Amino acid sequence: MLSRADAGGRIEASRRHPRRGDTGTAILLLLPLLVLVVGLIVYPIYRAVWLSFTDKLVGYPERFVGLRNYIYLANDDAFHTVVRNSLVFTVSSVALKIVTGLAMALVLHATWRWRNFFRGLMLLPWITSTVIIALTWRWMFDSFPGRGFFNSVLLDLGLLSRPVAFMATPEGAMLAVVIANWWRGFPFFGVSYLAGMQSIPGELYEAASVDGAGSWRRFWHVTLPGLKHIIIVTTLLTFIFTINDFNIIYVMTRGGPGTATQVFATYSYEVAFNQLRWGRGVTISIFAVPLLIAGIALVSRYLLRERTA
Amino acid sequence: MKPWKIATVLGLVVFALIVLVPFWWIATMSFKTYEQIQFAQSIYVPRPFTWENYTGLWLETRFPIWFRNSVVTAMVVTIITTVIACLSGYAVARLRFPGREAIATLILVLYLVPPALLFIPLYRVLAELGATNSLMALFLSYPTFTVPFCTWLLIGFFKALPTELEEAALVDGATRPQALVRVLLPLAAPGIVASAIFAFTLSWNEFLYALIFITDETATTVPVGLNLLIYGDVFHWGQLMAASVITTVPVVALYMFIHRWMVEGLAAGAVKG
Repeated sequence: MLSRADAGGRIEASRRHPRRGDTGTAILLLLPLLVLVVGLIVYPIYRAVWLSFTDKLVGYPERFVGLRNYIYLANDDAFHTVVRNSLVFTVSSVALKIVTGLAMALVLHATWRWRNFFRGLMLLPWITSTVIIALTWRWMFDSFPGRGFFNSVLLDLGLLSRPVAFMATPEGAMLAVVIANWWRGFPFFGVSYLAGMQSIPGELYEAASVDGAGSWRRFWHVTLPGLKHIIIVTTLLTFIFTINDFNIIYVMTRGGPGTATQVFATYSYEVAFNQLRWGRGVTISIFAVPLLIAGIALVSRYLLRERTA
Repeated sequence: MKPWKIATVLGLVVFALIVLVPFWWIATMSFKTYEQIQFAQSIYVPRPFTWENYTGLWLETRFPIWFRNSVVTAMVVTIITTVIACLSGYAVARLRFPGREAIATLILVLYLVPPALLFIPLYRVLAELGATNSLMALFLSYPTFTVPFCTWLLIGFFKALPTELEEAALVDGATRPQALVRVLLPLAAPGIVASAIFAFTLSWNEFLYALIFITDETATTVPVGLNLLIYGDVFHWGQLMAASVITTVPVVALYMFIHRWMVEGLAAGAVKG
């Protein structure tokens, strides 16, 4: 007993007082990471900020123009549409994911047999390449019967008399990309919420039942508060990645029809690689950075508590 | 049956349908003939059933080259990522040094930096290095998102291992690197395999960087190739579906292998893609 406590004490002591060699070893081990980070992430970000203050056109030398790109975009109607589209796309996909994720977690939580099988099955969209998901939903909504699932089936059932071009209207195109993004992301929400539900102590539910709470009130007063942390983290992470999404929209609509589904990343690509205005293209991405920083700051607070504690 | 059991079964059926119907639609189209797709014949099952899309894809398109490029890229990136992530994950999880928390924060923040912010300046940096238009561009750029993610995962795995074994090795006169290679890495093997599979999957599925950094149609990867197929002059729907199926199968196979670890690692924020 005594010697074990003693050994524990020594390990504790060695943790508190860093071994002399640790710092040197740490630098050595972290060197490849730091080279990568500085060379391929930090330096390009610095270049991005610099480019945003220039009028760089492909093939011409860059000239410093101060804040002209920022002012131009702030007054640009097309860019206002892009900001609105990005927010509509992100907020509606995330809201749908939370609701269906909760439903999926409740169903899986109540599943009494083959739960792991169904959980694995439902995660399939989440591991599939985003490009393939985007192509898949493009065909699902395709206006040609035979290629388009909805047109084929609705015509076959007699619910439509002629094919509908679902993605030809601005609203239809936005709905289609939101659905594709929702489909790819809700399984992750469901599985995360399921893990959260499984860690809520059963006594809480028993106590609530004893107090006369029905299933709805148990869900509202026990399940949801127990999931608060995980809901916040998944929502923030998904918000960060969705506001900057490129793949789904580029593959499904190229930002069209018109600019109806143009978002930050696709518009940045369009301006930089089709109009060849690199300075302005970079500035579009940089406009999303304040949102990004807010999201990252919040999410770091939650996640770092787990990793460095 | 009790009402809640009926509701659960109903829920499972609904979710299974939501997930499976799009996959099924693509898979059946890959086995249909051109006429069946074009004229909406036998829409629910491929009848007659044909492999011609798969053979056509392999013999008539550049798909085999794209597939090879994707395999090479994913493997090289996985190796680079695993080495860097093991070293730095170990350092952050196990060593005591000033700035440890700062490095952990940095890794998390970098994981959250979206490729959409980096693609234009990264293109310029790679062009200056002469690395664009070859797989080298992807070897260099993919670790910018795989390394932060895998390091973040491995910090968690290394932290979860008991410290006593490593302490014992150190007391017995092993150096830190020896302790890492001989004691800790074998113990962390499941975590390392899981993180390697994540790196592989992320590289396999990546689209934006490949689209921008590589313009040569023979030097690109499957996701970009699939988009080239759509805009080809003579378009074979079935071949595109067949390509989607072939591309999805390896990832699903890998995933079945690590399903359990993946679900555990999910809470760490494995949502990128």
